[in-house]
Amino acid sequence: MGMMALATPDLDQETRLSPAAVTPWQTVVWDDPVNLMSYVVRVFRDYFGYTKEHATRLMLSVHNDGQAVVAEGAREQMELHAASMHDYGLWATVRPAEG
Amino acid sequence: MSESTSFSLGALEVTGLIDLVAQLRDVLESPSTADPALARLTPNAYPDDAEAAREFRRLTEGDITARRLKDAEVMASSLAAIAPGGDPDPSLELPLQLDAAQVGSWMRTLAAMRLVIATRLGIDADTAYDAKDPAYGIYEWLAYRLESLIEATDLDS
Repeated sequence: MGMMALATPDLDQETRLSPAAVTPWQTVVWDDPVNLMSYVVRVFRDYFGYTKEHATRLMLSVHNDGQAVVAEGAREQMELHAASMHDYGLWATVRPAEG
Repeated sequence: MSESTSFSLGALEVTGLIDLVAQLRDVLESPSTADPALARLTPNAYPDDAEAAREFRRLTEGDITARRLKDAEVMASSLAAIAPGGDPDPSLELPLQLDAAQVGSWMRTLAAMRLVIATRLGIDADTAYDAKDPAYGIYEWLAYRLESLIEATDLDS
């Protein structure tokens, strides 16, 4: 039992066989002229649990680049995140990850 | 780490906020789907895919609005509890204590109020707005209140 758990051959096989089934999607937050920078940082910390540093970096990306990817993963999860961002008054969209 | 935050509001701020929360609830409960403020409160998650955008809106718009109304109710309740009666002395300071959940509701409601006012004023990236409009003063004051609340509840302090 112990040896099988360490080798994890099943996990590797599953990953090789189905990369297309797990096309990653992204939740993107867009800059807007209303929301305070401090508020956006607080939202990223409260909702995603990001550290102050990470949340601040993300907020600055939104502010300077106009947008930032705040999460990546399954489409349903990204839609959930986008709706939650809307709860906070941020503008978020969902799109397939590039590449 | 304390679970509750204490701060105080001026009497006129309290009556002002009570009025603004009521106005926000009117906007949220309005049957008009053409209100641009409502559009800003439930923005388009799929700007490049009309079908997905429709589906996302269909599935989430009602819930987002319901949660906003719940947040507004939390804020309205905490304000009602300290609301000064009659004609309050403007210098009166009213102490308030909020737990973590209430702080969340307050922040989201203050943010929503600012979004609605911004829509009314026409504040967006490309157009000029009238900074002399009295609503703009309220918009700035709400920013100050939201900022203060964020600082008062800073997770690192």
